[in-house]
Amino acid sequence: MDPITLEVHWSRLISIADEAATALLRTAFSTIVRESNDFATVLMDETGNSVSENTGGIASFSCILPRTTRAFLEKFPAETWVPGDCVITNDPWLATGHLPDITAVSPIFHKARLVGFAGSIAHSPDVGGALWGADCQEVFEEGVRIPPTRILRGGEWNRDVLDMFLANVRVPRQVLGDLEAQVTANEVCAAGVREFLEDSGLDELATLGAALSERTDAAMRRAISELPDGEYSAVQEADGFDAETTRIVCTVRITGDEMEIDYEGTSPQIARGINCVWNYTHAYSVYPVKCALDPFTPRNEGSYRSITVKAPERSILNPLYPAPVSARQLTGHLLAGAIYRALSPIMPERVIADCGGAPTMRCLFSGLDNNGDRFSQVLFASGGMGAAPHRDGLPTTAFPTNAGAGSIEAFESVAPLVVWRKQFRPDSGGAGRMRGGLGQEAEIEVRAPGPLRLSLLSDRRDHPALGVLGGGGGATAQIMMSDGTRPHPKSRTTIAPGIRLTMSYAGGGGYGPPGERDREALAADIKDGVVTAEGAKAYRA
Amino acid sequence: MSGAANNPAPRPSAETAPRAPSARIGVDVGGTFTDLVLHDAARNITRTGKLLTTPDDPSRAITEGVARILREAGLTPADLHSIVHGTTLVTNTVIERTGAKVGLLTTAGFRDSLEIGKEIRYDLYDLFLEPPPTLVPRHLRREVPERMAFDGEELLPLDEAALLREAAHLVAEGVEAIAISFLHSYRNPAHERRAGDILRAEYPSIPLTLSSAVAPEIREYERTSTACANAYVQPRMQRYLTKLEADLRATGFTGALYVMLSAGGIASLREAKEFPIRLIESGPAAGAMAAAFIAKLAGLDAVVSYDMGGTTAKMCLVENGAPDHKHDFEAGRVRRFAKGSGLPLKVSVVDMIEIGAGGGSIARVEPGSGLMKVGPRSAGAMPGPVCYGRGGTEPTVTDSDLLLGRLDAAHFLGGEMALDQGRVVRAVEQGVAAALGMGVAETALGISRIVDETMAAATRMHLAEKGRDPRRYTLIAFGGAGPVHACNLARLLKMKRVVVPLGAGVASALGFLVAPPATDAVRSLVGRLERLDYAAIGALYAEMRGECEELLLEAGAERDAIRYTAVAEMRHVGQGFEIPVPLPALTISAADLPLLRENFFAAYRERFSRIVEDAPIEALTWRLSAAAPAQHISLHREASGTPAQRGHRAVRFELHGEVQAAILDRYALAPGFTFEGPALVEERESTCVVPPGATCHIDEHLNLVITLA
Repeated sequence: MDPITLEVHWSRLISIADEAATALLRTAFSTIVRESNDFATVLMDETGNSVSENTGGIASFSCILPRTTRAFLEKFPAETWVPGDCVITNDPWLATGHLPDITAVSPIFHKARLVGFAGSIAHSPDVGGALWGADCQEVFEEGVRIPPTRILRGGEWNRDVLDMFLANVRVPRQVLGDLEAQVTANEVCAAGVREFLEDSGLDELATLGAALSERTDAAMRRAISELPDGEYSAVQEADGFDAETTRIVCTVRITGDEMEIDYEGTSPQIARGINCVWNYTHAYSVYPVKCALDPFTPRNEGSYRSITVKAPERSILNPLYPAPVSARQLTGHLLAGAIYRALSPIMPERVIADCGGAPTMRCLFSGLDNNGDRFSQVLFASGGMGAAPHRDGLPTTAFPTNAGAGSIEAFESVAPLVVWRKQFRPDSGGAGRMRGGLGQEAEIEVRAPGPLRLSLLSDRRDHPALGVLGGGGGATAQIMMSDGTRPHPKSRTTIAPGIRLTMSYAGGGGYGPPGERDREALAADIKDGVVTAEGAKAYRA
Repeated sequence: MSGAANNPAPRPSAETAPRAPSARIGVDVGGTFTDLVLHDAARNITRTGKLLTTPDDPSRAITEGVARILREAGLTPADLHSIVHGTTLVTNTVIERTGAKVGLLTTAGFRDSLEIGKEIRYDLYDLFLEPPPTLVPRHLRREVPERMAFDGEELLPLDEAALLREAAHLVAEGVEAIAISFLHSYRNPAHERRAGDILRAEYPSIPLTLSSAVAPEIREYERTSTACANAYVQPRMQRYLTKLEADLRATGFTGALYVMLSAGGIASLREAKEFPIRLIESGPAAGAMAAAFIAKLAGLDAVVSYDMGGTTAKMCLVENGAPDHKHDFEAGRVRRFAKGSGLPLKVSVVDMIEIGAGGGSIARVEPGSGLMKVGPRSAGAMPGPVCYGRGGTEPTVTDSDLLLGRLDAAHFLGGEMALDQGRVVRAVEQGVAAALGMGVAETALGISRIVDETMAAATRMHLAEKGRDPRRYTLIAFGGAGPVHACNLARLLKMKRVVVPLGAGVASALGFLVAPPATDAVRSLVGRLERLDYAAIGALYAEMRGECEELLLEAGAERDAIRYTAVAEMRHVGQGFEIPVPLPALTISAADLPLLRENFFAAYRERFSRIVEDAPIEALTWRLSAAAPAQHISLHREASGTPAQRGHRAVRFELHGEVQAAILDRYALAPGFTFEGPALVEERESTCVVPPGATCHIDEHLNLVITLA
């Protein structure tokens, strides 16, 4: 296929995945899908290899979906699928690492022949079990686990399974609404593909997919081969759970046009929900590499062929069933920082410092509002991004995830809570030639008729986002109650009316020696009050 | 350089009675040119004019242009009924960051909302992306203790002493305008209004913007951003509009001066001075209004208007004679076509998509994948495409159009610019063809295919978001490159029909003369349908109606002719995107509940092809649009009477290879004439490519109406 036709087809297939994503986003009930972009849509060929992916969403999800689809094909071989089928799972080990994410895959038929699959992942409003938290001790507490299941067969819902599932969740109407949104997204994708095949005269997707994968594979190999061969390593520590601190040992080996990321030496799995299953470990290892080395080539199956990821079994980065995994992001988001620090000596112009928003810090409130209606709301807010070689870290912006933040006015309209402030934390950005991004502080008062349940999912209380190449660390995260207590950062607890919770989000790490900071930039920071006179001392030459 | 009189010159008639002021002029001040259109229905005159914009003082080109076009039409300023003005001044001020030094006062604890924004990276893979701009730096954002709850209850009274202290600080810092944005002011504006009264009394000369006045909608970041942007452009726009009016009055103009708002309505100067941010899309709105007008003339109720210029292509849905609207807009993007990289504004605008696909879009081979990309980078007007011979070296869409035979090297821009074909062949060869391992002709076709596919994808997506199927629509093409690519784009979208009006530039400026006096108002009041506070909603609509009526009377409307349309934005409880749902009347009651639900489900089904029947529904925002009837103008024109066909040229088509196409002179094509493709219809500003198998008919308004095979 000539390169022009390839380009024309590829853009068309990407826009089909984007159309599916739009359909999903617009009708989803889950605030996590919307505010946190916790979703993805992927178009695959008939063997489950990805052909194109949506442009937004969670990049890591789209590299897991094809793997999940191949697992579906093992249980339901290709010849058993019929039009109108949809198979779902939320198995953490087959899919995206924790139960709340539901993967839904539908077949695409063209001229009575299976030509591919349309897949979508979305964070469900609820999957039963414990309130979303980090402190469960087995996966069974974390919710209902759905093995690969034909939730739709030939266009008919599998009512028994659906009823069983919905009977175990807190907000069944919304959960079903989101499942329907995923099915619709898959239909949009399938319809787009059928029209594309008709327009282009092609009979199948696999040949085109293979040609595109060759291109993406070559692009990544080209970028890797520009790096010097060798072994580079870094250690990333995090709070973990109580005495069991997390230690991630990351060794990156570069040989010609291939890269191996090896986590040998990393902490063992623990009996709390911060274990990160291998699928998620893989996804959050290859994504930061793509950002640094080949950010502008679109992705598909070929993008990550040249990268191997290894994590020892029973480690916190490759836990075995039935380990609790609900808050796997508290571990998985740390990998980008480890990889960048390891590679910083050989590609200083392409990396950023550690991010205060990695991992994300969340507080989830649940209970009854003033009308007696049940509500459940997460406050979305991020710490500061790590500083870049030529720019300060972005304030209050997450990386490697891309969770956004909603409006406080909208938040207060749907939950009996008042946010008294949400503002930058002065001095929270790590000092450096380029300053780390600022974290923020939010103060939330409970104004419900009775106590609410509160779930906290956070890290970085004791381990700040580190700087790179001489940069200083950002401010650590803190959580305080107005009664003077400090709740456990990974706990489920209750919070009484009138109590105010203060969440202080971590700052990003600095880049380069603080003494080399441009004096005008420092003066501007002082004038804007983001660096105090006291904080400015860190910049002395 | 005025010209293009499409009507016979005015007869030095035997008019004896004092002439009624019946002439109207539309003036569009663009970055390069100031375009004028004059229409006088009573005297049957339509004239256009064009002169260079005078950036140091845009009103100079306007007064000169007005004087000249009146002179050419044999009229005097006293004959002018009105002037409608559109300007890019607001958008340029935002893009070029040349606005006022603004101070912002917020609720204590929230001065950083403006900079915290949505906390989103607009590009998932770019570690080094530039953040969206912040118009007010942190040291000019100050906080005042006060607080309202989401339901309008006062949680903390306004600290007036603190307000005065913080305002004094801003004034001492030398701010030229102040914006006030307090939390939940869309629900209860009492604190903002009180603060406004205090500051107006204390600092009468400093322009003040209240967020609850400019954008009374829920979501503090967007509302605050809108208030700051309004304050940012206000001093400059007030000076400009005041001077413009004075300059025009000095020439003897006694008619009314109106401006074009971003949603395509015309409004009074007072509205423009108070809410200048509503002019942010003033120019593009005129184009959409012109498209709507032409669609109406041609009797088309389902149209996609398509305007492809040098840098971008803009697409807009026009149904039943009116362009689609939306109520948010992103201005001054740091990465032009990246959603999320600009300032969010809560303003009503014509809902257009703009993508980086224009005649100047540059083709290059991406080193990573080895595939060719076209745009969004553009050679613009300078250096322009390689064929212009002004120093451009990278091949563009216009260059490929030249190589494919679609453009005439000798007659470009009516022969004013000779295109350099040899230079283009070398640029395509060295720039892209060699890296792709393809021939020059094939590569040129590839550039065209890719840019057409990009536009088709964007159009498909835009329509899909509204639940529309492109096959039902007719494409109306404007702009220099629009008619060149229109038939191909229509084919990709499976549209059957393309309409190309005469004189793309002229057509766009017509928008000013056919736009109705129109405005809109909005309030947020969140509530589940079954618990709506109908009295409160009625009060909001009464208030909004009063506001709209006042504005439209100022804009020249008759009170009894004003039509109101009410729409509520609703969603299922738990969702994050609202859809507009029509309301039966401005006052609704519990008896309307079944109808509201029905309307919601109908709108939901139209957009998403399904409904979620048993999930509760809530309304967030209540909108009122008000419009008076537009002026009708006649475009009936005569053909030049010269022979139409000028010969043949070889043109390469994607599906047909190289074929000989007839070259036709657009100005010689008379109404009723019909021909078949392949053909090229050449006019001064553009060439319309009619592919083999297509049939083209000239309608009574001299539109080319092309039916595709």
